[in-house]
Amino acid sequence: MRSERSAGPSAQTFVGITVIWLVAAFVIYPVFYLLQASFDVGDPEARPPTAYGFDNFEGLPKYWEIMLNTLYVSFAATVMALVFGFLTAWILNRTNVPFRRTLEQAMAVPYYVTPLLGALAWSLLGAPESGFANQIWRALGGQDAIIDIVSPMGIAWVMALFEGSVAFVMIGAVMKSMDPSLEEASQINGAGRFYTMMRVTLPLVTPGVLGAAIFVFAEMLGSFSAALVLGTPVRFYVITTAIYQLVAQYPPRIPLAAAMGVSLFAVMFFMLFFYRRIIAHRSYVTVSGKAFRPRLTDVGGLRWVLFAICGSYVVLSVVLPILTLVYASVQRLAVAFPAVGNFTLDNYRTALTQNAVRYAMSNSLILGVLTATIGVALTGMLSWLIHRSRIPGRGLLEYIVMFPQAVPRLVFAFGMMWAWLVFPIPIYGTLWLLLIAYLTVFLPLGVRTISSVLLQLDKSLDECGEVCGASWGFRMRTITMPLLRPGLLAAWMLLFIASVRELGASILLMGPHSQVLTPAIVSAWFGSSSELTAAMALIQTVVLGLAVGLFTLLTRRASRQGG
Amino acid sequence: MPKTPTRRFALQAGLAAAMVPVGHQAAAQSRPVTKVLDFTTSADMAKAEQEGALLFYTHDGEAGAAAAMDAFSADFPKIKASYVRAQTGALYSKILAERSAGRFDVDVIQFSDVGTAIDFDKRGAFETYNSPQAAFYEAEFLSDPAGHYFCSGMTFAGIAYNTDKVKAEDAPKAWKDLLDPRWANVTSTKQSTSGMQFVEWYELRKLYGDDYWKAFSKQKPHGFDSRAQLFDRLAKGDDKICALAEWAAYVLYHDRKAPIAFVAPEDGLPATALATGMVTKAPHPEAARLFIDWLMSLRGQAVYQQHPDLLYGSVRKDAPPMPGGVRLRDFKLLVPSDMQDFLGARKKFNADWNAMLGLL
Amino acid sequence: MDVQIGDPHIEVENLEIHYGPVAAVGPVSFTVMPGQQVTLLGPSGCGKTTTLRAIAGLEKPSAGVIRIGGDTMYSSRSRINVRADKRGLSMVFQSYAIWPHMTVFENVAYGLRVRRKSRAEIEEKTRAALDLVQMGAYAYRHASQLSGGQQQRVALARACAFSPSVLLFDEPLSNLDAKLRGDMRIELRELQHRLGVTSVYVTHDLEEALAMSDQIVVMRGGHIEQNGTPDEIYNYPRTEFVADFVGSANLIRGKLRPDMSALGVVALEADGGHIIHGVSHGRTPGSNPVMSVRTVHLRLSLERPVAPVNVWPVVVRRSVFLGDITQVHVEWGGRELVIRQTVPDGLAEGDGAWLSIATGHCVLLEAE
Repeated sequence: MRSERSAGPSAQTFVGITVIWLVAAFVIYPVFYLLQASFDVGDPEARPPTAYGFDNFEGLPKYWEIMLNTLYVSFAATVMALVFGFLTAWILNRTNVPFRRTLEQAMAVPYYVTPLLGALAWSLLGAPESGFANQIWRALGGQDAIIDIVSPMGIAWVMALFEGSVAFVMIGAVMKSMDPSLEEASQINGAGRFYTMMRVTLPLVTPGVLGAAIFVFAEMLGSFSAALVLGTPVRFYVITTAIYQLVAQYPPRIPLAAAMGVSLFAVMFFMLFFYRRIIAHRSYVTVSGKAFRPRLTDVGGLRWVLFAICGSYVVLSVVLPILTLVYASVQRLAVAFPAVGNFTLDNYRTALTQNAVRYAMSNSLILGVLTATIGVALTGMLSWLIHRSRIPGRGLLEYIVMFPQAVPRLVFAFGMMWAWLVFPIPIYGTLWLLLIAYLTVFLPLGVRTISSVLLQLDKSLDECGEVCGASWGFRMRTITMPLLRPGLLAAWMLLFIASVRELGASILLMGPHSQVLTPAIVSAWFGSSSELTAAMALIQTVVLGLAVGLFTLLTRRASRQGG
Repeated sequence: MPKTPTRRFALQAGLAAAMVPVGHQAAAQSRPVTKVLDFTTSADMAKAEQEGALLFYTHDGEAGAAAAMDAFSADFPKIKASYVRAQTGALYSKILAERSAGRFDVDVIQFSDVGTAIDFDKRGAFETYNSPQAAFYEAEFLSDPAGHYFCSGMTFAGIAYNTDKVKAEDAPKAWKDLLDPRWANVTSTKQSTSGMQFVEWYELRKLYGDDYWKAFSKQKPHGFDSRAQLFDRLAKGDDKICALAEWAAYVLYHDRKAPIAFVAPEDGLPATALATGMVTKAPHPEAARLFIDWLMSLRGQAVYQQHPDLLYGSVRKDAPPMPGGVRLRDFKLLVPSDMQDFLGARKKFNADWNAMLGLL
Repeated sequence: MDVQIGDPHIEVENLEIHYGPVAAVGPVSFTVMPGQQVTLLGPSGCGKTTTLRAIAGLEKPSAGVIRIGGDTMYSSRSRINVRADKRGLSMVFQSYAIWPHMTVFENVAYGLRVRRKSRAEIEEKTRAALDLVQMGAYAYRHASQLSGGQQQRVALARACAFSPSVLLFDEPLSNLDAKLRGDMRIELRELQHRLGVTSVYVTHDLEEALAMSDQIVVMRGGHIEQNGTPDEIYNYPRTEFVADFVGSANLIRGKLRPDMSALGVVALEADGGHIIHGVSHGRTPGSNPVMSVRTVHLRLSLERPVAPVNVWPVVVRRSVFLGDITQVHVEWGGRELVIRQTVPDGLAEGDGAWLSIATGHCVLLEAE
């Protein structure tokens, strides 16, 4: 017993230190190469760089328009996403809207329907000339176009539709952590609903909402797919698409792209730092793990109006895009009012021969399973080390693990591309590289999810086991893991979905033998007709939906058996 | 970039007296010629099938590339043929980056402009392989020295417009008409990575001088990555005019009943030869040779010439007409003749074209 | 609205509150006279908090009438339901509900601000309220920095600030430690008396209810078990539940002996054969009469007491020393009785003794 006790901590410490070094290596290594490339002022093709300097950064102000575009689009998207998120969070958490449970589940779906799919669909819907909505508008007698999705506001709209569900979850969490009796006390004191909202509810919720706003804004800065599909055809660039363009064009301008990447990284880093400060200090509503169920306000006849509001968010972000894609995919030349002869299944026939469907899909599924499985194990262990172990430097570990969040995926992949190109082990262009990339960029996601579950786990449960004489490994197996199971399964699913829908990192790291789903849809978009792309996107969505459904069924059965 | 002799060449050095550092002496090969299906090949069929795979880098669109691969795999089911597509410029920088990092995954590569192929050849990256099919090609359509790459087809472009949005009498009839201010913001072209676009730029510059493109940039054209995209947008009316309308794409969309009309300006249609060749250090050398032979043969050329997503005019001596009975010689084609000048203009083209498109 | 002397201040009639198909409360009826404190007492889940919240207007009942000061606040028949912010009541919440983003002063002044009082009046009344609870020195402290006890006082001050006519308390002391609870209990009672405010108080703590109330309404499972003064509830419990919830009691079943009963006094033959005499308190014995005998009223003695009735020989089964109290279990007529006494007799297991009890301390429960 005693020897076990004294061996325990040092084994833990050893594991801990090793892990910290490994994680730091994976996370910092690409960033180093990114920085190196950004300071390269010599011959761009020579490796390693022949000369270093600040020239690339000095050249950045020339691209002030792109910076402005980025800020404009991100800001507009954040505002819209917050409106969607706040409205739906309020309605679903605080009113007696009908079908609340169903709507809550529906709110998660936009996360699965990627912004890319949304961008493709909305492009088909809202392109000024050819968009279905505009065609219908003109048929009804309108002039020109009623919506122009191929514009900064259009890009912001699409981004907001999909980030709205993230905002919903974050703001909902804030609302759930407010004691409802605070509002009741206000009412008792004679304040009406409006006064109560202004004087009590909003001031209490605001710090949390502000935190969510900063987080969403940082995400928008690094966002890629909507701007790629909708912006590049009309020469509208944001920083991420500009970086991509610089890397993909001929001849590529790597150092400039790297300099842009570094600046974006710096801004995002600062924002996220700001975010953590806000939620740590200014929030009155402490997230202590105690969740209240807010008392529902009876809104009477307004119930159906509110239902319509939530419903229309789901329709706009999920139903309408999918229907649009279906509609386009079965036509030869997609128009709003097709002649009978325009319908065809050829697109599906061709789609099944394309790389994107054949190889990319199976690659993505395999990669998804690998990422999720290894990722859960990895982030589970990291979470445990950060929150439950006594190893020195676990604060530092948490910081390192959260680091990739500050780096936009595309930029991170850029560093990785450079870093792994020269790595002696030939993994460049293979699925292994993508696996490493995914695991690294999804570290924050996994650690955050599992940590929140871990924190709710009472320490004394584990300690009791320790007192009973169980070793660390045994306790992990018999106490901690079973209790964590639902959280781990949720994290698995989250990582699986995230890896399959990933674009920014994959598009740069993809190789001929490692094509994956989302970038393949993008190259299809740029390399073939929109009807064909729609068919491919739908095939992939259906297959993915089936995979998710299958896994959900399996895990539900497993958790039921596990008890 | 240092020019590294291939392994093959190094072997020959032991036999031959002189060492030629630049280019390759095409030594006579003693490879047995067999007949496979309906064409002759010097590839070792058994080994090719053992290799079982082929990776093809091409400038084509997704549909075209997939079609070529499918056709080859249909003929040789044991060889799994796969492709990676990107426009010529992007494709070129990709393969160069890979090779400089020591990655050699590609078997055969196809560029849409000869200038790039020549540059690639200068770096010694094409494998020397004298196909038995080479007899069916004029010397001008083979590499110099022969055996590195060949012209697997020709494509040419004119002007196209959307008939719903543009009345016939207003439509441009000559290249100069594209400069009309009414076509500002509704004109599309390809990006600087396109080989075809480079040729158009070069040829029209030769015809009308630098001022032509300076004036054209005032039209603020939209640049795209594939002809499918160009015609997709044209058919739907997102653009009214396409300034680089490949005839092959026009035929495809015309068959789909898209409201598009094609204009062949009197002064001529810029045309480019596709250059296809086997790459050195190919992981599947025999399969690569088989592919080259297949592509050069009537069989492969038929696919390239007739498949709706390809429609490249064949330059084989005994090739049949293209669909619709047309032949390449029915059109007035503008092809770059002075290769050195053509190659030298590339840098200027990239800079000017990127700036015109508002790229960075 | 003038409240006449003699008119009830709060009237609850046949109140029913449903959560979906489940009836949480009801039907329940009681009244509160002006200046009185009525306590709703019962175990958790009995519906006392729900009833209180219904009076406050924070829960919507399904049927019944609630009147405050003669005004109808809720009536299912007339479809009236006055909103919580318009009822003019005051409430102290279990979690205190102090707004963390405001100062103590702002918290207490809130109700006055809402009613658009003048600055001078706000200042004066808030100060007065804070002094009432001895929190005057903390007026400009941020509410998030207060301890539990301090928050409780601020909640109280806030409730009193605009001199309401009705004060509602939802288990205000349950989050305090025992010592503080004891002190606050006395303070609250004094405050209530001083202000002469009508109060409705909810608690599960027996001592609190007995110490502070004018009336106690004992609730269980959404229904009222008994409504009476502390003395009545304690000495004359109506049901078995009340008997055992309010203090500890032995419940003795048996057959009625009408031959031994007289006016106001009933005799029961217990199942073991012993006869026990008790008061009927105006209740008619039913088919299964039950007598409640408080453990603290039973007397154990070594010598046979001199009394005509209610004297029996018993055998001690167990004696447990609990500090202030010694609890003795005796065998009595085939069953066990529990006695709690302050003086340890030194009786050990197996000892014989005499058990006696005054007739007035045996109470007949109401028939089912």
